[in-house]
Amino acid sequence: MDYVFTILILIGLFVILASSFDLVIGHCGLISIAHPIFYAIGAYISAMLSKQYGLPVPVSILCGGVGALLASALVAVPALRVSGDYLLIASIGFQLGLIELAKHFHEIGGAGGLTNIPSFLIKDFGRESYVVLVLVLAALTVLFIRWLTQGPYGRMMTAMRDDELAFSMLGRNAIWVKVAVFAIGSGIAGIAGGLYAHYFRFLEPDQFGLLQSSAVLTMVVVGGMRTTMGPVIGAIVLQLMPQVITFFNLPPSILGPLQGLLFTGLVLFFMFVRPQGLLPAADLWVGRKQQGDAGQSAKEARS
Amino acid sequence: MFELAVVSQILWTSFATSSYFVLFAVAFALVLKVNKVFNFAQAGVMTCGFYAAYVGVRILNLPGYAGFMLGIGGGVAMSFVLEYFGFAVLRQRKASAMFVFIFTLIASQFIAYAVMMIFGTWPTTIFASMFWPVTMVGGIAVSAWDVPAIAATVVVLTGLWAFLKYSRNGQFMLAVADNADLAELYGIQKDRILMLSMVLAGVIVSIGMFLYGTRAQVQAAAATELMLFAVAATILGGIGNIWGAAIAAVVLGVVQNSSILFIPSAWQGFLLFAFLFFAIVLFPRGFRLPERRNTLKRLAVAPQALSDGKGH
Amino acid sequence: MSATLEIRGMCKSFGGIVVADSIDLDLMAGRVLGLIGPNGAGKTSLFNLVCGVVKPDAGSVSLDGRSLEALPTYERARMGLARTWQNLRLFPSLSVMDNLMLGPRAYSADSLMDVFFRPSQIRAHEAEARDRALDILERTGLSPIAHSRVQDISFGQQKLVGVARALMNEARCLLLDEPMAGVEGQTYALIQKAVRDIAASGVAICVVEHNVAFIRDLCDEGVFMFAGKVLARGSVEQLINDPHLTELYFGT
Repeated sequence: MDYVFTILILIGLFVILASSFDLVIGHCGLISIAHPIFYAIGAYISAMLSKQYGLPVPVSILCGGVGALLASALVAVPALRVSGDYLLIASIGFQLGLIELAKHFHEIGGAGGLTNIPSFLIKDFGRESYVVLVLVLAALTVLFIRWLTQGPYGRMMTAMRDDELAFSMLGRNAIWVKVAVFAIGSGIAGIAGGLYAHYFRFLEPDQFGLLQSSAVLTMVVVGGMRTTMGPVIGAIVLQLMPQVITFFNLPPSILGPLQGLLFTGLVLFFMFVRPQGLLPAADLWVGRKQQGDAGQSAKEARS
Repeated sequence: MFELAVVSQILWTSFATSSYFVLFAVAFALVLKVNKVFNFAQAGVMTCGFYAAYVGVRILNLPGYAGFMLGIGGGVAMSFVLEYFGFAVLRQRKASAMFVFIFTLIASQFIAYAVMMIFGTWPTTIFASMFWPVTMVGGIAVSAWDVPAIAATVVVLTGLWAFLKYSRNGQFMLAVADNADLAELYGIQKDRILMLSMVLAGVIVSIGMFLYGTRAQVQAAAATELMLFAVAATILGGIGNIWGAAIAAVVLGVVQNSSILFIPSAWQGFLLFAFLFFAIVLFPRGFRLPERRNTLKRLAVAPQALSDGKGH
Repeated sequence: MSATLEIRGMCKSFGGIVVADSIDLDLMAGRVLGLIGPNGAGKTSLFNLVCGVVKPDAGSVSLDGRSLEALPTYERARMGLARTWQNLRLFPSLSVMDNLMLGPRAYSADSLMDVFFRPSQIRAHEAEARDRALDILERTGLSPIAHSRVQDISFGQQKLVGVARALMNEARCLLLDEPMAGVEGQTYALIQKAVRDIAASGVAICVVEHNVAFIRDLCDEGVFMFAGKVLARGSVEQLINDPHLTELYFGT
């Protein structure tokens, strides 16, 4: 049963990761694949705060989220001031560099990993309670992102993606929107990291590298960018598929590369055969309930 | 504490080892300039070049030069596949820059995993031994690897320079780099030129990987870090400036290798990411010499009689 | 009366090609100024310099006496500078209505704090902007297509949407880049009426246009530009009839 719980938790965490990543790369059009590093920052901060300083777990998870949010701004502000393309390179440098750095810090476990992270809920209420917590938070994340992208902020992100120059000529600050969305997405990933840390109770720098990046990217691309359910479906499908492979009892030296091959191969397949993903996004942005006259005239226009 | 002999030894060795860094950076900068792509798939090309040479020498027991040729063949083949089945298709579909970039990144990861499946994750070299006989030149140990490596790099750079300057295809390449649509109007087959620059970059990185693989151990994921080094050099050298990238690569190579004088060796790997990050934050447009004044002046001079601003 | 927009000593060259050569220009409230000149005279470049899209080599711009120099494009827009683009630059992923909704100087969601913590204020803002947009769409005759995608409407209508979007700003100064190119018939009349109405409300307007008839019908005054210089300023009639300018315009 524990096996099922673990898979459910992983699905929930990856729904959070994929949805927040879709907010950044899909809705806002920011090219970065360093999402897992903010997941890692959240995880490590939360783990250290609760283990070393005895903070209550929920508080340390929140601090992890805030830490990831601030770290993302640290990367985004200098990179975005130059141009959008640099964010990608800066963020990859940040991701791989930070992983390299973490391997050398023995205070946080170094390359061997951080162990004995305090657990949460499980002792008192059983694993089911943690599953419920993660799945509820995953649902809230999906709803939050849907709410944000279908509101006036979503209209703004859509316009910015279309034409940044025209966007700023209307009085909108494109850099601020990008930094803000990048920070929100990364902050959410940080919270997911905290949730990961206090369930699995073990963290190691290498698990947040490029393999993780391609996994999350695959979920978004395969599921369908800029859709509410796309990243959710992507996360579920891609979380279950590797589980199937584990039944073949392959040696770990084959299993790792095989999973990587599967993830990257799927992205390549979808990029060329079905670039819109399983759930294609509509090409016209529609906000939530266009009120009053507008809704009326929409109906008239259609009839 | 630093004796002159030690310092000059380290400087020489780091200069020699920067030879392959230069090749990786030049290839990356060339593709960025001509094809307008941050080609992270270069890591995949590098991996293919290395393993083709490895198969030739270590598995088929061919002599070194045959392995060298096989290595180039491997790199070129992978470049061809990427351009023909990847970039060309995406171009035709008018895919966004983000899409193309993700493609390069995922393609390089895909190749790395495929190679891991075939060859495992254990590091290897092209020749069974990576120790080279050493000659003392004025107190500095010069290995039998150093001189051919530097010579090969110089030959490649000179060849590339001559190619771009004097050959028709090279000039076409610069024309496409300048303005692809205009070049096409003048009858240059854009797709052919873009393929050519890709393949050329494939040749250059394969030579670089052969140099690297005869001196250091390589595993499937190693190419990514080597390529990130090229990215840092390209940014520092000023985007669009191939020779700037080459110089930046030498400087970064020497700094990284000689850093052993100042910091523990465990931290050397981290230095690369520091370079990358600082390159972007501090020198986003590269170190630039003042631009040469373009002599193309607008010739039309406004007639004096009309400049009183009142008309007639 | 002092000028709404003041351009002083504006200079810019790109690698030896001069697009602005110490340009001085005043735009007056309620008046429409036409910028005339051959292609490459630097008309659109002047707009780009004023909007902060391109950084000048020298020179200053001020709007209502406040200097715009240090401000990025979006802040200039927030101070009441609006423009349209030669190649339209509408947002294809948004409906006509939503294109307009982004136009106000202060947008409902500019502050994330408001988005998260003051939903009622956002709603009020949105409703207000929607009313204004509906009003503008009504006046420009775009109401029937308010919820169409911008790529599904005619070219003339797209131009009109561009102007309408700029109007949402309630700008003090409006720069129109070839609003009439490729427009005919009823839409022509609509754009013309729209521009007149805006000027009448006290906005300073500058129009780049090749359509001489439109310039003559609409502009109170004209400026002839050539090779980055202002060569002449006067009534449109004067400029058009000047043999030297005609020669420069068509080239010999």
